[in-house]
Amino acid sequence: MEPLISMGVLALIGVAATIAGASEDLESDVGSQSNPNSQVQLAPQMMFPHRIYNKAVSGEPPSNALMSAVGATGAVVLMDEFSLSPLFALVFGALIAAMVHGTFAVTSTMGRAASQRRFKQPVYLDMIRSHTPVIMGYAFITTFCILVVSFLMDSVLSHPFPLPLLAFIWGITVGAIGSSTGDVHYGAEREFQQFEFGSGLNASNSGNIVRFAESGLRNGYDNSWFCAKFGGPVTGIAFGMTVFLGNWITTVFDPARGVAEGWLSVVAGVIIVLILIFWNRKIEVAARNAFGPYKQDKTEEEAAA
Amino acid sequence: MIDIMANIVWMALIVIGGVLISWSVHFVPVGGAPAAMAQATGIGTGTVQLAAGAGLTGLVSAGYVMNVVDNLPLILASGAVGAMIMIAVTMIVGTWVYVYGVGCVPSSAKVKVDPLTHDRQDLYVSQGTEGHGLPTVCFVSGVIGGALGGIGGALIYYALLKVGMAVTEVNANLVGLVGIFAVGIFFVNAVIPSYNIGGTIEGFHDPKWKKWPKAVISSFVATIFCAIVAVIAISQMGGL
Repeated sequence: MEPLISMGVLALIGVAATIAGASEDLESDVGSQSNPNSQVQLAPQMMFPHRIYNKAVSGEPPSNALMSAVGATGAVVLMDEFSLSPLFALVFGALIAAMVHGTFAVTSTMGRAASQRRFKQPVYLDMIRSHTPVIMGYAFITTFCILVVSFLMDSVLSHPFPLPLLAFIWGITVGAIGSSTGDVHYGAEREFQQFEFGSGLNASNSGNIVRFAESGLRNGYDNSWFCAKFGGPVTGIAFGMTVFLGNWITTVFDPARGVAEGWLSVVAGVIIVLILIFWNRKIEVAARNAFGPYKQDKTEEEAAA
Repeated sequence: MIDIMANIVWMALIVIGGVLISWSVHFVPVGGAPAAMAQATGIGTGTVQLAAGAGLTGLVSAGYVMNVVDNLPLILASGAVGAMIMIAVTMIVGTWVYVYGVGCVPSSAKVKVDPLTHDRQDLYVSQGTEGHGLPTVCFVSGVIGGALGGIGGALIYYALLKVGMAVTEVNANLVGLVGIFAVGIFFVNAVIPSYNIGGTIEGFHDPKWKKWPKAVISSFVATIFCAIVAVIAISQMGGL
Protein backbone atom coordinates (compact mmCIF):
# COMPACT_ATOMS: atom_id res chain seq x y z
CA MET A 1 0.00 0.00 0.00
CA GLU A 2 0.98 3.62 -0.54
CA PRO A 3 3.00 4.72 2.48
CA LEU A 4 1.10 8.02 2.56
CA ILE A 5 -2.28 6.27 2.81
CA SER A 6 -0.95 3.99 5.57
CA MET A 7 0.23 7.03 7.49
CA GLY A 8 -3.18 8.67 7.10
CA VAL A 9 -4.93 5.55 8.36
CA LEU A 10 -2.43 5.37 11.20
CA ALA A 11 -3.24 8.96 12.19
CA LEU A 12 -6.95 8.12 12.22
CA ILE A 13 -6.27 5.02 14.38
CA GLY A 14 -4.23 7.16 16.78
CA VAL A 15 -7.04 9.72 17.12
CA ALA A 16 -9.70 7.04 17.69
CA ALA A 17 -7.48 5.36 20.30
CA THR A 18 -6.93 8.67 22.11
CA ILE A 19 -10.68 9.29 22.36
CA ALA A 20 -11.21 5.67 23.50
CA GLY A 21 -8.64 6.05 26.27
CA ALA A 22 -10.09 9.33 27.55
CA SER A 23 -13.69 8.10 27.55
CA GLU A 24 -12.67 4.79 29.15
CA ASP A 25 -11.12 6.63 32.09
CA LEU A 26 -14.07 9.01 32.52
CA GLU A 27 -16.48 6.07 32.38
CA SER A 28 -14.58 4.46 35.25
CA ASP A 29 -14.64 7.76 37.19
CA VAL A 30 -18.36 8.54 36.86
CA GLY A 31 -19.28 4.94 37.73
CA SER A 32 -16.29 4.36 40.04
CA GLN A 33 -14.60 1.17 38.86
CA SER A 34 -11.27 -0.54 39.31
CA ASN A 35 -8.80 -0.04 42.17
CA PRO A 36 -10.00 3.34 43.56
CA ASN A 37 -13.43 1.77 44.00
CA SER A 38 -11.97 -0.30 46.85
CA GLN A 39 -12.16 2.92 48.91
CA VAL A 40 -15.74 3.65 47.82
CA GLN A 41 -16.60 0.09 48.81
CA LEU A 42 -14.76 0.45 52.14
CA ALA A 43 -16.19 3.86 53.12
CA PRO A 44 -19.60 2.72 54.50
CA GLN A 45 -17.86 0.04 56.59
CA MET A 46 -15.79 2.83 58.17
CA MET A 47 -19.08 4.68 58.90
CA PHE A 48 -18.81 7.05 55.91
CA PRO A 49 -21.96 6.39 53.83
CA HIS A 50 -21.79 8.20 50.49
CA ARG A 51 -23.67 9.08 47.29
CA ILE A 52 -21.13 7.74 44.78
CA TYR A 53 -22.02 5.18 42.10
CA ASN A 54 -20.31 1.92 43.10
CA LYS A 55 -20.12 -0.23 40.01
CA ALA A 56 -16.86 -2.29 39.76
CA VAL A 57 -18.33 -4.84 37.34
CA SER A 58 -14.87 -6.45 37.37
CA GLY A 59 -11.32 -5.23 36.81
CA GLU A 60 -11.29 -2.68 34.00
CA PRO A 61 -9.43 -4.85 31.43
CA PRO A 62 -11.94 -7.75 31.51
CA SER A 63 -14.96 -5.42 31.50
CA ASN A 64 -13.64 -3.40 28.54
CA ALA A 65 -12.59 -6.57 26.74
CA LEU A 66 -16.14 -7.90 27.19
CA MET A 67 -17.66 -4.69 25.83
CA SER A 68 -15.33 -4.59 22.84
CA ALA A 69 -15.74 -8.29 22.01
CA VAL A 70 -19.55 -8.08 22.28
CA GLY A 71 -19.56 -4.99 20.05
CA ALA A 72 -17.18 -6.51 17.51
CA THR A 73 -19.09 -9.78 17.32
CA GLY A 74 -22.35 -7.89 16.74
CA ALA A 75 -20.70 -5.75 14.07
CA VAL A 76 -19.18 -8.77 12.26
CA VAL A 77 -22.54 -10.56 12.20
CA LEU A 78 -24.24 -7.47 10.79
CA MET A 79 -21.53 -6.95 8.15
CA ASP A 80 -21.13 -10.57 7.03
CA GLU A 81 -24.63 -12.00 7.32
CA PHE A 82 -26.76 -8.90 6.67
CA SER A 83 -24.29 -7.08 4.36
CA LEU A 84 -24.68 -3.80 6.25
CA SER A 85 -22.23 -0.97 5.74
CA PRO A 86 -19.31 -1.08 8.23
CA LEU A 87 -20.13 2.34 9.66
CA PHE A 88 -23.68 1.31 10.58
CA ALA A 89 -22.54 -2.10 11.82
CA LEU A 90 -19.85 -0.61 14.08
CA VAL A 91 -22.29 1.91 15.57
CA PHE A 92 -24.90 -0.79 16.15
CA GLY A 93 -22.31 -3.15 17.67
CA ALA A 94 -21.17 -0.40 20.05
CA LEU A 95 -24.80 0.28 21.00
CA ILE A 96 -25.34 -3.40 21.92
CA ALA A 97 -22.15 -3.33 24.00
CA ALA A 98 -23.24 -0.14 25.81
CA MET A 99 -26.59 -1.73 26.71
CA VAL A 100 -24.88 -4.87 28.03
CA HIS A 101 -22.52 -2.69 30.06
CA GLY A 102 -25.42 -0.61 31.42
CA THR A 103 -27.09 -3.80 32.65
CA PHE A 104 -23.95 -4.87 34.50
CA ALA A 105 -23.49 -1.38 35.96
CA VAL A 106 -27.01 -1.22 37.42
CA THR A 107 -26.99 -4.72 38.87
CA SER A 108 -23.54 -4.32 40.44
CA THR A 109 -24.17 -0.91 42.04
CA MET A 110 -27.57 -2.01 43.40
CA GLY A 111 -26.11 -5.25 44.75
CA ARG A 112 -23.17 -3.51 46.37
CA ALA A 113 -25.23 -0.73 47.96
CA ALA A 114 -27.91 -3.16 49.15
CA SER A 115 -25.33 -5.50 50.71
CA GLN A 116 -24.10 -2.60 52.87
CA ARG A 117 -27.48 -1.99 54.49
CA ARG A 118 -26.12 -2.88 57.93
CA PHE A 119 -23.68 0.06 57.57
CA LYS A 120 -26.61 2.44 56.79
CA GLN A 121 -25.61 2.87 53.15
CA PRO A 122 -28.70 4.10 51.21
CA VAL A 123 -29.58 2.96 47.67
CA TYR A 124 -30.02 6.30 45.85
CA LEU A 125 -32.40 5.41 43.00
CA ASP A 126 -32.31 8.91 41.51
CA MET A 127 -28.51 8.75 41.42
CA ILE A 128 -28.61 5.36 39.65
CA ARG A 129 -31.18 6.72 37.14
CA SER A 130 -29.11 9.81 36.37
CA HIS A 131 -25.65 8.18 36.24
CA THR A 132 -26.40 5.00 34.25
CA PRO A 133 -27.08 6.78 30.92
CA VAL A 134 -23.79 8.68 31.31
CA ILE A 135 -21.92 5.42 31.98
CA MET A 136 -23.56 3.87 28.91
CA GLY A 137 -22.69 6.94 26.85
CA TYR A 138 -19.02 6.72 27.75
CA ALA A 139 -19.09 2.94 27.19
CA PHE A 140 -20.57 3.55 23.72
CA ILE A 141 -17.81 6.04 22.80
CA THR A 142 -15.07 3.70 24.08
CA THR A 143 -16.43 0.64 22.28
CA PHE A 144 -17.06 2.52 19.04
CA CYS A 145 -13.51 3.92 18.98
CA ILE A 146 -11.99 0.49 19.77
CA LEU A 147 -14.07 -1.01 16.96
CA VAL A 148 -12.87 1.72 14.56
CA VAL A 149 -9.23 0.99 15.52
CA SER A 150 -9.70 -2.77 15.10
CA PHE A 151 -11.68 -2.44 11.86
CA LEU A 152 -9.07 -0.16 10.25
CA MET A 153 -6.24 -2.47 11.34
CA ASP A 154 -8.12 -5.43 9.90
CA SER A 155 -9.36 -4.02 6.61
CA VAL A 156 -6.73 -1.41 5.69
CA LEU A 157 -3.50 -2.44 7.44
CA SER A 158 -4.43 -6.12 6.74
CA HIS A 159 -3.81 -7.49 10.24
CA PRO A 160 -4.40 -11.28 10.28
CA PHE A 161 -6.42 -11.39 13.55
CA PRO A 162 -10.24 -11.48 13.16
CA LEU A 163 -12.10 -8.32 14.25
CA PRO A 164 -13.54 -9.71 17.55
CA LEU A 165 -10.12 -11.01 18.70
CA LEU A 166 -8.42 -7.72 17.85
CA ALA A 167 -11.17 -5.76 19.64
CA PHE A 168 -10.86 -8.11 22.64
CA ILE A 169 -7.10 -7.51 22.89
CA TRP A 170 -7.42 -3.72 22.52
CA GLY A 171 -10.18 -3.82 25.16
CA ILE A 172 -7.78 -5.57 27.58
CA THR A 173 -5.08 -3.00 26.74
CA VAL A 174 -7.28 0.10 27.12
CA GLY A 175 -8.53 -1.22 30.46
CA ALA A 176 -4.99 -1.97 31.66
CA ILE A 177 -3.84 1.53 30.68
CA GLY A 178 -6.93 3.24 32.11
CA SER A 179 -6.60 1.54 35.48
CA SER A 180 -2.82 2.22 35.59
CA THR A 181 -2.82 5.93 34.71
CA GLY A 182 -6.04 7.94 34.89
CA ASP A 183 -7.46 6.04 37.86
CA VAL A 184 -4.55 7.15 40.03
CA HIS A 185 -5.76 10.74 39.60
CA TYR A 186 -9.21 9.68 40.82
CA GLY A 187 -8.03 7.36 43.60
CA ALA A 188 -5.03 9.23 45.00
CA GLU A 189 -6.23 12.81 44.50
CA ARG A 190 -9.96 13.29 43.93
CA GLU A 191 -11.18 10.80 46.56
CA PHE A 192 -8.88 12.24 49.25
CA GLN A 193 -8.80 15.98 48.59
CA GLN A 194 -9.44 16.78 52.24
CA PHE A 195 -5.92 15.59 53.11
CA GLU A 196 -2.70 17.45 52.46
CA PHE A 197 -1.67 17.54 48.79
CA GLY A 198 1.44 15.67 47.71
CA SER A 199 1.81 12.96 50.31
CA GLY A 200 0.02 9.91 48.97
CA LEU A 201 -2.69 8.30 51.09
CA ASN A 202 -1.72 7.51 54.67
CA ALA A 203 -3.02 3.98 55.38
CA SER A 204 -4.79 5.24 58.51
CA ASN A 205 -7.04 7.45 56.34
CA SER A 206 -8.30 4.54 54.22
CA GLY A 207 -12.03 4.69 53.58
CA ASN A 208 -12.34 8.35 54.61
CA ILE A 209 -13.27 9.57 51.13
CA VAL A 210 -14.59 13.07 50.37
CA ARG A 211 -18.40 12.86 50.53
CA PHE A 212 -19.45 16.50 50.26
CA ALA A 213 -19.29 18.56 47.08
CA GLU A 214 -19.19 22.32 46.46
CA SER A 215 -22.96 22.08 46.84
CA GLY A 216 -24.73 19.08 48.37
CA LEU A 217 -23.37 15.53 48.37
CA ARG A 218 -20.58 14.53 46.01
CA ASN A 219 -21.51 12.11 43.22
CA GLY A 220 -19.92 10.50 40.16
CA TYR A 221 -20.50 13.60 37.98
CA ASP A 222 -18.30 15.68 40.31
CA ASN A 223 -15.56 13.07 40.07
CA SER A 224 -15.62 12.87 36.28
CA TRP A 225 -15.70 16.71 36.08
CA PHE A 226 -12.46 16.84 38.06
CA CYS A 227 -10.74 13.91 36.33
CA ALA A 228 -11.66 15.24 32.88
CA LYS A 229 -9.10 17.99 33.51
CA PHE A 230 -6.09 15.67 33.80
CA GLY A 231 -6.64 11.94 34.43
CA GLY A 232 -8.92 11.36 31.42
CA PRO A 233 -6.85 13.21 28.80
CA VAL A 234 -3.55 11.62 29.87
CA THR A 235 -5.14 8.16 29.71
CA GLY A 236 -6.18 9.04 26.16
CA ILE A 237 -2.64 10.11 25.34
CA ALA A 238 -1.28 6.86 26.82
CA PHE A 239 -3.57 4.58 24.81
CA GLY A 240 -3.18 6.72 21.68
CA MET A 241 0.61 6.59 22.02
CA THR A 242 0.58 2.79 22.56
CA VAL A 243 -1.54 2.11 19.49
CA PHE A 244 0.16 4.77 17.34
CA LEU A 245 3.78 3.98 18.21
CA GLY A 246 3.20 0.21 18.08
CA ASN A 247 1.85 0.49 14.53
CA TRP A 248 4.07 3.39 13.43
CA ILE A 249 7.30 1.37 13.62
CA THR A 250 5.91 -1.37 11.37
CA THR A 251 4.32 1.14 8.95
CA VAL A 252 7.50 3.17 8.45
CA PHE A 253 9.76 0.10 8.43
CA ASP A 254 7.37 -2.46 6.97
CA PRO A 255 8.54 -6.08 7.55
CA ALA A 256 6.64 -7.00 4.36
CA ARG A 257 9.41 -5.26 2.39
CA GLY A 258 12.06 -7.59 3.82
CA VAL A 259 13.62 -8.94 6.98
CA ALA A 260 16.13 -6.04 7.17
CA GLU A 261 13.25 -3.53 7.34
CA GLY A 262 11.68 -5.69 10.06
CA TRP A 263 14.82 -5.46 12.17
CA LEU A 264 14.88 -1.67 11.62
CA SER A 265 11.36 -1.52 13.07
CA VAL A 266 12.63 -3.41 16.15
CA VAL A 267 15.54 -0.96 16.51
CA ALA A 268 13.14 1.99 16.20
CA GLY A 269 10.95 0.51 18.93
CA VAL A 270 13.90 -0.01 21.27
CA ILE A 271 15.03 3.61 20.71
CA ILE A 272 11.53 4.85 21.63
CA VAL A 273 11.62 2.79 24.85
CA LEU A 274 15.10 4.13 25.76
CA ILE A 275 13.85 7.71 25.27
CA LEU A 276 10.92 6.98 27.60
CA ILE A 277 13.27 5.53 30.30
CA PHE A 278 15.42 8.69 30.06
CA TRP A 279 12.33 10.92 30.22
CA ASN A 280 11.10 9.12 33.37
CA ARG A 281 14.49 9.71 34.98
CA LYS A 282 14.34 13.45 34.13
CA ILE A 283 10.88 13.75 35.73
CA GLU A 284 12.04 11.80 38.80
CA VAL A 285 15.05 14.10 39.34
CA ALA A 286 12.92 17.21 38.78
CA ALA A 287 10.34 15.97 41.31
CA ARG A 288 13.01 15.17 43.93
CA ASN A 289 14.47 18.64 43.58
CA ALA A 290 11.12 20.46 43.48
CA PHE A 291 9.30 18.61 46.30
CA GLY A 292 12.21 17.58 48.54
CA PRO A 293 12.30 14.74 51.09
CA TYR A 294 9.51 14.04 53.61
CA LYS A 295 11.89 13.10 56.43
CA GLN A 296 15.16 14.41 57.84
CA ASP A 297 18.23 12.26 57.28
CA LYS A 298 19.06 10.93 60.78
CA THR A 299 22.69 10.10 59.93
CA GLU A 300 23.25 13.73 58.84
CA GLU A 301 21.64 15.03 62.04
CA GLU A 302 23.86 12.82 64.17
CA ALA A 303 26.93 13.93 62.26
CA ALA A 304 25.96 17.60 62.79
CA ALA A 305 25.44 17.03 66.54
CA MET B 1 -1.30 -39.59 20.60
CA ILE B 2 0.08 -39.27 17.07
CA ASP B 3 -0.77 -35.56 17.10
CA ILE B 4 1.28 -35.02 20.24
CA MET B 5 4.38 -36.93 19.11
CA ALA B 6 4.39 -35.15 15.75
CA ASN B 7 4.18 -31.76 17.45
CA ILE B 8 6.60 -32.34 20.31
CA VAL B 9 8.94 -29.52 19.17
CA TRP B 10 6.10 -26.99 19.01
CA MET B 11 4.87 -28.15 22.41
CA ALA B 12 8.33 -27.54 23.84
CA LEU B 13 8.23 -23.99 22.43
CA ILE B 14 4.78 -23.43 23.99
CA VAL B 15 6.08 -24.54 27.39
CA ILE B 16 9.13 -22.27 27.08
CA GLY B 17 6.78 -19.40 26.17
CA GLY B 18 4.60 -20.11 29.21
CA VAL B 19 7.60 -20.22 31.53
CA LEU B 20 8.89 -16.91 30.10
CA ILE B 21 5.50 -15.26 30.74
CA SER B 22 5.48 -16.54 34.31
CA TRP B 23 8.99 -15.18 34.91
CA SER B 24 8.18 -11.87 33.20
CA VAL B 25 5.32 -11.08 35.59
CA HIS B 26 7.81 -10.90 38.49
CA PHE B 27 9.59 -7.99 36.79
CA VAL B 28 6.50 -5.83 36.29
CA PRO B 29 6.22 -3.25 39.12
CA VAL B 30 2.58 -3.47 40.20
CA GLY B 31 1.15 -2.00 43.36
CA GLY B 32 -2.45 -3.13 42.99
CA ALA B 33 -5.17 -1.07 44.68
CA PRO B 34 -2.79 0.61 47.19
CA ALA B 35 -0.70 2.03 44.32
CA ALA B 36 -3.83 3.59 42.82
CA MET B 37 -4.09 5.60 46.08
CA ALA B 38 -0.32 6.44 46.00
CA GLN B 39 0.08 4.10 48.97
CA ALA B 40 2.54 1.62 47.42
CA THR B 41 5.27 1.80 44.79
CA GLY B 42 4.46 0.63 41.27
CA ILE B 43 1.70 0.90 38.73
CA GLY B 44 -1.78 1.20 40.22
CA THR B 45 -3.34 -1.94 38.81
CA GLY B 46 -3.37 -5.71 39.20
CA THR B 47 -0.53 -8.02 38.21
CA VAL B 48 -2.45 -10.08 35.70
CA GLN B 49 -4.15 -7.08 34.15
CA LEU B 50 -0.99 -5.18 33.35
CA ALA B 51 1.09 -8.19 32.29
CA ALA B 52 -1.75 -9.30 30.01
CA GLY B 53 -2.22 -5.80 28.60
CA ALA B 54 1.45 -5.58 27.68
CA GLY B 55 1.90 -9.15 26.48
CA LEU B 56 -1.22 -9.14 24.33
CA THR B 57 -0.18 -5.83 22.73
CA GLY B 58 3.05 -7.64 21.85
CA LEU B 59 0.95 -10.48 20.43
CA VAL B 60 -0.78 -8.03 18.06
CA SER B 61 2.63 -6.85 16.76
CA ALA B 62 3.98 -10.41 16.48
CA GLY B 63 0.81 -11.55 14.68
CA TYR B 64 1.23 -8.82 12.08
CA VAL B 65 4.91 -9.63 11.48
CA MET B 66 4.24 -13.38 11.29
CA ASN B 67 1.67 -12.68 8.60
CA VAL B 68 4.34 -11.25 6.29
CA VAL B 69 7.63 -13.01 7.17
CA ASP B 70 8.54 -16.43 8.56
CA ASN B 71 11.56 -15.53 10.68
CA LEU B 72 11.32 -16.65 14.32
CA PRO B 73 13.88 -14.19 15.82
CA LEU B 74 12.18 -11.24 14.11
CA ILE B 75 8.70 -12.37 15.25
CA LEU B 76 9.90 -12.72 18.85
CA ALA B 77 11.65 -9.33 18.72
CA SER B 78 8.48 -7.68 17.37
CA GLY B 79 6.44 -9.21 20.18
CA ALA B 80 8.97 -7.96 22.72
CA VAL B 81 9.05 -4.44 21.25
CA GLY B 82 5.24 -4.16 21.08
CA ALA B 83 4.95 -5.13 24.75
CA MET B 84 7.86 -2.88 25.79
CA ILE B 85 6.28 0.14 24.10
CA MET B 86 2.92 -0.49 25.80
CA ILE B 87 4.39 -0.86 29.27
CA ALA B 88 6.88 2.01 28.88
CA VAL B 89 4.13 4.38 27.68
CA THR B 90 1.88 3.29 30.56
CA MET B 91 4.64 3.87 33.09
CA ILE B 92 5.69 7.29 31.76
CA VAL B 93 2.08 8.50 31.81
CA GLY B 94 1.72 6.98 35.28
CA THR B 95 4.72 9.06 36.34
CA TRP B 96 3.02 12.22 34.96
CA VAL B 97 -0.02 11.47 37.12
CA TYR B 98 1.99 10.67 40.28
CA VAL B 99 4.25 13.72 39.96
CA TYR B 100 1.96 16.39 38.43
CA GLY B 101 -1.50 15.13 39.49
CA VAL B 102 -0.85 13.70 42.95
CA GLY B 103 2.35 15.62 43.76
CA CYS B 104 4.50 12.86 45.22
CA VAL B 105 8.09 11.91 44.48
CA PRO B 106 8.75 8.49 42.89
CA SER B 107 10.28 6.41 45.67
CA SER B 108 10.73 2.78 46.68
CA ALA B 109 10.12 1.47 50.19
CA LYS B 110 11.87 -1.86 49.61
CA VAL B 111 15.43 -0.54 49.15
CA LYS B 112 17.31 2.31 50.82
CA VAL B 113 19.03 3.41 47.61
CA ASP B 114 17.97 2.86 44.01
CA PRO B 115 20.37 0.14 42.74
CA LEU B 116 20.66 1.82 39.33
CA THR B 117 20.84 5.55 40.12
CA HIS B 118 22.11 5.29 43.75
CA ASP B 119 19.54 7.90 44.88
CA ARG B 120 18.30 7.73 48.49
CA GLN B 121 14.74 6.35 48.57
CA ASP B 122 13.73 6.08 52.24
CA LEU B 123 13.67 9.86 52.83
CA TYR B 124 11.17 10.37 50.02
CA VAL B 125 8.59 7.84 51.27
CA SER B 126 5.73 9.79 52.84
CA GLN B 127 4.24 8.83 56.21
CA GLY B 128 1.87 5.84 56.30
CA THR B 129 2.71 4.65 52.77
CA GLU B 130 4.87 1.93 51.23
CA GLY B 131 6.40 4.28 48.65
CA HIS B 132 4.75 5.69 45.54
CA GLY B 133 5.34 6.26 41.85
CA LEU B 134 7.95 4.66 39.63
CA PRO B 135 11.63 5.23 40.42
CA THR B 136 14.11 4.39 37.65
CA VAL B 137 14.80 0.84 38.84
CA CYS B 138 11.08 -0.01 38.70
CA PHE B 139 10.78 1.50 35.23
CA VAL B 140 13.71 -0.53 33.87
CA SER B 141 12.41 -3.68 35.56
CA GLY B 142 8.98 -3.12 34.00
CA VAL B 143 10.49 -2.77 30.53
CA ILE B 144 12.40 -6.07 31.01
CA GLY B 145 9.17 -7.73 32.17
CA GLY B 146 7.29 -6.41 29.14
CA ALA B 147 9.97 -7.71 26.78
CA LEU B 148 9.97 -11.21 28.33
CA GLY B 149 6.16 -11.36 28.30
CA GLY B 150 6.04 -10.23 24.67
CA ILE B 151 8.59 -12.90 23.67
CA GLY B 152 6.63 -15.58 25.57
CA GLY B 153 3.31 -14.63 23.96
CA ALA B 154 4.85 -14.47 20.49
CA LEU B 155 6.53 -17.86 20.97
CA ILE B 156 3.23 -19.52 21.92
CA TYR B 157 1.43 -17.91 18.97
CA TYR B 158 4.20 -18.96 16.56
CA ALA B 159 4.23 -22.57 17.79
CA LEU B 160 0.43 -22.92 17.75
CA LEU B 161 0.18 -21.47 14.25
CA LYS B 162 2.82 -23.96 13.06
CA VAL B 163 0.72 -26.78 14.56
CA GLY B 164 -2.31 -25.51 12.63
CA MET B 165 -0.35 -25.03 9.39
CA ALA B 166 0.42 -28.76 9.33
CA VAL B 167 -3.30 -29.58 8.92
CA THR B 168 -4.70 -26.63 6.99
CA GLU B 169 -3.70 -23.44 5.20
CA VAL B 170 -3.60 -20.20 7.15
CA ASN B 171 -7.08 -18.62 7.16
CA ALA B 172 -9.12 -16.40 9.45
CA ASN B 173 -10.59 -19.39 11.33
CA LEU B 174 -7.19 -20.85 12.13
CA VAL B 175 -5.73 -17.47 13.16
CA GLY B 176 -8.76 -16.82 15.39
CA LEU B 177 -8.51 -20.24 17.07
CA VAL B 178 -4.75 -19.94 17.56
CA GLY B 179 -5.11 -16.38 18.86
CA ILE B 180 -7.68 -17.40 21.47
CA PHE B 181 -5.51 -20.31 22.65
CA ALA B 182 -2.47 -18.02 22.84
CA VAL B 183 -4.46 -15.48 24.91
CA GLY B 184 -5.76 -18.27 27.17
CA ILE B 185 -2.32 -19.77 27.83
CA PHE B 186 -1.04 -16.24 28.46
CA PHE B 187 -3.66 -15.66 31.15
CA VAL B 188 -2.95 -19.01 32.85
CA ASN B 189 0.71 -18.13 33.17
CA ALA B 190 0.05 -14.53 34.20
CA VAL B 191 -2.19 -15.68 37.06
CA ILE B 192 0.17 -18.30 38.58
CA PRO B 193 2.85 -15.76 39.69
CA SER B 194 0.21 -13.63 41.46
CA TYR B 195 0.30 -16.12 44.33
CA ASN B 196 4.00 -15.32 44.77
CA ILE B 197 3.50 -11.60 44.39
CA GLY B 198 0.45 -11.23 46.63
CA GLY B 199 -0.71 -7.91 45.23
CA THR B 200 2.45 -5.81 45.14
CA ILE B 201 5.98 -6.19 43.77
CA GLU B 202 8.42 -3.47 42.81
CA GLY B 203 10.62 -5.35 40.33
CA PHE B 204 13.85 -7.31 40.38
CA HIS B 205 15.13 -5.46 43.47
CA ASP B 206 12.11 -6.56 45.56
CA PRO B 207 12.76 -9.47 47.99
CA LYS B 208 9.63 -11.19 46.62
CA TRP B 209 11.32 -11.42 43.21
CA LYS B 210 13.60 -14.19 44.54
CA LYS B 211 10.56 -16.47 44.85
CA TRP B 212 10.26 -16.76 41.05
CA PRO B 213 11.44 -20.42 40.76
CA LYS B 214 8.27 -21.62 42.53
CA ALA B 215 6.01 -19.87 40.03
CA VAL B 216 8.13 -20.91 37.07
CA ILE B 217 7.99 -24.61 38.05
CA SER B 218 4.20 -24.37 38.55
CA SER B 219 3.84 -22.69 35.17
CA PHE B 220 6.01 -25.35 33.56
CA VAL B 221 3.62 -28.07 34.75
CA ALA B 222 0.46 -26.09 33.96
CA THR B 223 1.65 -25.15 30.47
CA ILE B 224 2.37 -28.80 29.59
CA PHE B 225 -1.33 -29.54 30.13
CA CYS B 226 -2.34 -26.39 28.24
CA ALA B 227 -0.05 -27.39 25.37
CA ILE B 228 -1.55 -30.90 25.16
CA VAL B 229 -5.11 -29.51 25.00
CA ALA B 230 -4.14 -26.77 22.54
CA VAL B 231 -2.25 -29.09 20.18
CA ILE B 232 -5.04 -31.69 20.12
CA ALA B 233 -7.73 -29.04 19.61
CA ILE B 234 -5.90 -27.14 16.90
CA SER B 235 -4.71 -30.17 14.96
CA GLN B 236 -8.26 -31.59 14.99
CA MET B 237 -10.23 -28.35 14.48
CA GLY B 238 -7.68 -26.19 12.65
CA GLY B 239 -9.76 -25.93 9.51
CA LEU B 240 -13.03 -25.96 11.50
